[in-house]
Order: sequence, then structure tokens, then C-alpha cells
Amino acid sequence: MSFEELEHTADVLMRVRGADLAELFAEAGRAMFHVMYGPCEERGVERRIEIEAENLESLLIDYLSELLFVTEVENTVFCTFDVDLRGTRLSAVLRGEPFDPARHSAGALIKGISYFGLEIVKEEEGYVVEIIFDI
Amino acid sequence: MLTGINKIGDLEWEVPIGYVPDMRVPGRFFLSRRLAETLEEGAVRQLANVATLPGIVKHSLAMPDIHWGYGFPIGGVAAFDMTEGVISPGGVGFDINCGVRLITTPLIEADLAGKKRELIERLFDAVPTGVGAKSAMRISNKDLSAVMVDGARWAVERGLGTEVDLVRCEGEGAMPGADPDAVSAKARQRGLPQLGTLGAGNHFLEVQVAREIVDPEAAKAFGIAEGQVCFMVHCGSRGLGHQVATDHLRTLEGALPKYGIRLPDRQLACAPIDSPEGRAYYGGMVSAANYAWANRQVIMHEARKVFAHLFGIDYDEMRLIYDVAHNVAKFERHDVDGVSMEVCVHRKGATRAFGPGAEGVPRQYAAVGQPVIIPGSMGTSSYLLHGTTAAMQKTWGSTCHGAGRVLSRSKAKKEIRGKELRERLAGEGILVRAHSDSVLAEEAPDVYKPSGEVVRVVHEAGLSKIVARLDPLGVIKG
Repeated sequence: MSFEELEHTADVLMRVRGADLAELFAEAGRAMFHVMYGPCEERGVERRIEIEAENLESLLIDYLSELLFVTEVENTVFCTFDVDLRGTRLSAVLRGEPFDPARHSAGALIKGISYFGLEIVKEEEGYVVEIIFDI
Repeated sequence: MLTGINKIGDLEWEVPIGYVPDMRVPGRFFLSRRLAETLEEGAVRQLANVATLPGIVKHSLAMPDIHWGYGFPIGGVAAFDMTEGVISPGGVGFDINCGVRLITTPLIEADLAGKKRELIERLFDAVPTGVGAKSAMRISNKDLSAVMVDGARWAVERGLGTEVDLVRCEGEGAMPGADPDAVSAKARQRGLPQLGTLGAGNHFLEVQVAREIVDPEAAKAFGIAEGQVCFMVHCGSRGLGHQVATDHLRTLEGALPKYGIRLPDRQLACAPIDSPEGRAYYGGMVSAANYAWANRQVIMHEARKVFAHLFGIDYDEMRLIYDVAHNVAKFERHDVDGVSMEVCVHRKGATRAFGPGAEGVPRQYAAVGQPVIIPGSMGTSSYLLHGTTAAMQKTWGSTCHGAGRVLSRSKAKKEIRGKELRERLAGEGILVRAHSDSVLAEEAPDVYKPSGEVVRVVHEAGLSKIVARLDPLGVIKG
């Protein structure tokens, strides 16, 4: 599906849509990496993560926070997010490339994911969530 | 102006109880009519939300750089009773102890003639900046624990500064109460390679000139003179602080039912100050704050070496005026209706501005009040002010922290071209160095409120008084 940046003065506000919840989580990951690094290609980097939380909103925050951690300590940029979601348990295969300062420096460093206004909403066509990234 | 808000002074406004449900105290903020034009309803609502938190004392406050954030508004200040009150990462932010330090040099602007480009390039080489920046320093996990306890002192003891630097930092460059055990393995992993790095976003290292001295007596006490070249470091606790905030926010959010706390915004997740979760957050936050003080100390050391080498001046001739935190929660003693009381003061995008004679102000500045440093945005003036007794009485000894944005990053990117901006600033004699031009567009001067107006408001409201105006000559950005 898609993500789009909405107006927010101080931080970055993204509206993310997915036909189902797994796609919503995948798109949320893509939106975050788009903000941080801009363009990215699959170049052999693959990583798996597994997360469990008590509800979907917390799972989304934990998942995005985990991605922030992984990208920073492993110097990797991800572009595809193959998400498998069972209830509030998530496993995802991330694919991308090593961080390259020449190509990945046009974005904004994200400090954290805000709980403010974060609510996963079911719509006729699927799911939507608005996420504030603190930058 | 928004409705439901009362003007109670020339520059002072009140948000009455009832603006949002469950407010325990009124809100108060400081704003000129001009700045009020860009005030967001969301920011006022966030100010009111803070007033619902248990144990809040007197008012939920905001400085004139108030704008819409998450949890507390940016520019938000609130104090909490030590027994009834709470501590909240939403009142500190993800970048724990983001702060600013200002250093004078013995140079004047003319000394930079023909060397400014080289100076900026050398500073850019010496201080790692931007996303993915890694430090040249190699520190062990044991070192990192010491950094989190000792703060700037850790760096000074390794020759990265002098003893005099320490007394010229808020809290002497470290807060007591660090608990490195409350800092996760993940936070450590992020912190290990980043000590001495600037980071990205609005963080910078800027070369400036003291263009105007407004208060000669205070300027003399602070050791700054008209025409003097200075440099300013603006950064925080990097990935370590971000992870500490993320980890504890999660724990505190989960503990809300345990303490029966109902919130209008989950980002205000909090726990009683003296609870296991509250104590753990405080210990982790202090550890990150101390890391940030060490970080700015290391960056200052590297910049001093560049200046010393390029201009043949002594390391010790570059004197730290002061270092202030603008994202932190601290236990402080304040006068509450005539009674001295310990409270937990949260400042999120606000600067401590203790007045003359207040405890914690370095002895050499005691007669004037603590130095307050307000960074400008790229290409605009920064200001040196001093704290006041009025701030002690009205705002828990707090003032503004910067300009505050008026234009979103997405709009900035559409409306401003980084390359053109860089060239325009160069035309004005301001050299800018960053990894990419698009970073410049997002942080362009036009996206911020005029820093002069924000500073004028705190000056006229008496929350701090202008000592000097500093204009940029060159800047390195993340």
C-alpha cells in the first residue's frame, strides 16, 4: 500500500496504510527508513527480528524501535520488510544494504517513536496509522 | 489568538483549569503577540495535558519557544512534589541532556581572514557528524560506566580538558544519582562508538563572533568582549540517550495501571518519583545526561586542538563560559509560597536560568546569575543571557532554549534548496559544512521563529537578561 508525510512542525508525521496488518507493519518500516536515509537498494544484507508485545500499538513501537537499534549498531539500511504477524507476535525478514555515507546522508536521524496519537485504525480498505517520529 | 486562554500580563497567558479534563493546576506560558500568531492549539493542549499529572506543583509552564511536540510541549517546564509527584520521560524527550556550551577564544574576526574555510574544514574532519557518525575513540564497557557516573570529569581526567572546565558546567558536568545498571545492553551498544560525535538534525558546532555586548558588567563577569571569536557546541546523549528514553518509556507505560495513573496521552507515561520504575528511569536518565556532558567535553577538546594548531594559540586561552542542559529532569530546591521545598523539575526544550546567589551557580558568576546560552538556527544570531530572580519565582528558574520551528521539514524541503541556501549564507560570510545539502534545507533559518523575538520575550518578561549577541561565521552540521 503506501505511506505519506503529513504536516508537522517539529517532527515527522507519517500516515501509513496497509491492506492487512502485516503490510501495515512492513510499510511503517519502509516509511521510517525513507525518512532516515532516502533511496535504498537490496544488496545482500538480510536480517531477521522477532518481537512480542501485549497489544498491536506497543508491538508497532517496539518493532520500529528495534529497527532503529539494528540500523544504528549494524550500519545497515533496509528497504524491504517481509512481516509475519500472528496476534501480537511479529517476525520479520529485513533486506537491504550496508550504510553508505555518500548515498544515505540526505535523511534525518530519528531519535524515537512517539506514542502520541498512535492508534491503528481499521478502515474499509485495510488499516491506517499515523506515527510521529522524533527527529 | 486561540480561544479559552486568558491574557494575564503583557507577555503572560493562562490556560485555565478545565481547558482539558482533569487538570490539577492551571497552565501558564510566555509569549508576545507576534509569536502568538504561530502558536499551535496542539501545543496548548499538550501544556494542559501536563497539568493533569499527579503531584504537579503550581503551574504547567511553557517558555516562548513553545511548540507542538509529544508528551510535554517543546518549551515545557513542570515541577513535581517529591512524594506525591511523578517523573516522566515525556517531560525530558528522547535526546536526554541535549544542551549547549559556549567557548571564547583570544581571536578577533580579522584573525580568521583567509583561514575561515580551512578552519571549518578542519573542524568538520575533527568532529564526526551526521547519521552513522562513529567516534575515533575506543572505549570499553567499563569506561562507559565511568562516563555515565562521572560525566565531563571522565574526559577531563583523561586529558580532554581542564579542571576549570568542570566548574563552568551546569552541575559541574555531571548529575548525582546515575545508575548504569538502569542502562540496557542495547543503549550501551549504541553509546560505545559515539562518544565525541555531534549527531544530526539541529545539532551543530558553530564559530561565532560576539557582535554586540548588551550588558557590559555581566559580560565582564562571564569573560566575553565585543568582537571576540567564540565557538558553540550543540548536541546531546546520542543513541545511548535515545535508547534509555525508549526502554524506560516502555516500562513506565506498562506500569501505569499499577499506580492507577490515567493519562490523556500515553507519551506522558510516568511513575511516582520514589517507585522502582521511577527510580530506574531517573538513574538511567542521569547516566545518559552524564554521557552527554562527556560528549560535549570531548567535542570541545577536539575543536580547541583545531583552533590551537591553526592559529598558534594556547589551549588554555579558549575558555569555557558555560554548558547548559535543555532536556532533563532534576531534583532542585525551590521556594514554594515561602517554603523551601525539593521538587523534580522537568525541562523539555527549556534551559535552567538560576538567578544571582542561587545554589548551583558557579562562584565566579554568583553576583550575576548563571550564564544561559540560547543557540540560534543556522545563519541567525545566538544569545548569551544570565539567569534572574524573577525566573526563580515564576518558572522554577527556567527560560527558553532556542527559536522553535515554524515550518515543517517536508515544507522546508519543498520551498528551500540546500545548495542555494549554502551559497546565500556564504555570500553573507557564513560558511556551512554538512554531509549533504538537503540537511541544510531542513534546518534553514527560515524554518525557525526569529530567535531574536523569542529572546526578547524572555528578556522583557524578566526570565533571563541578554548579555551578548553572537553572530555566526561558520558552522558544521550533522
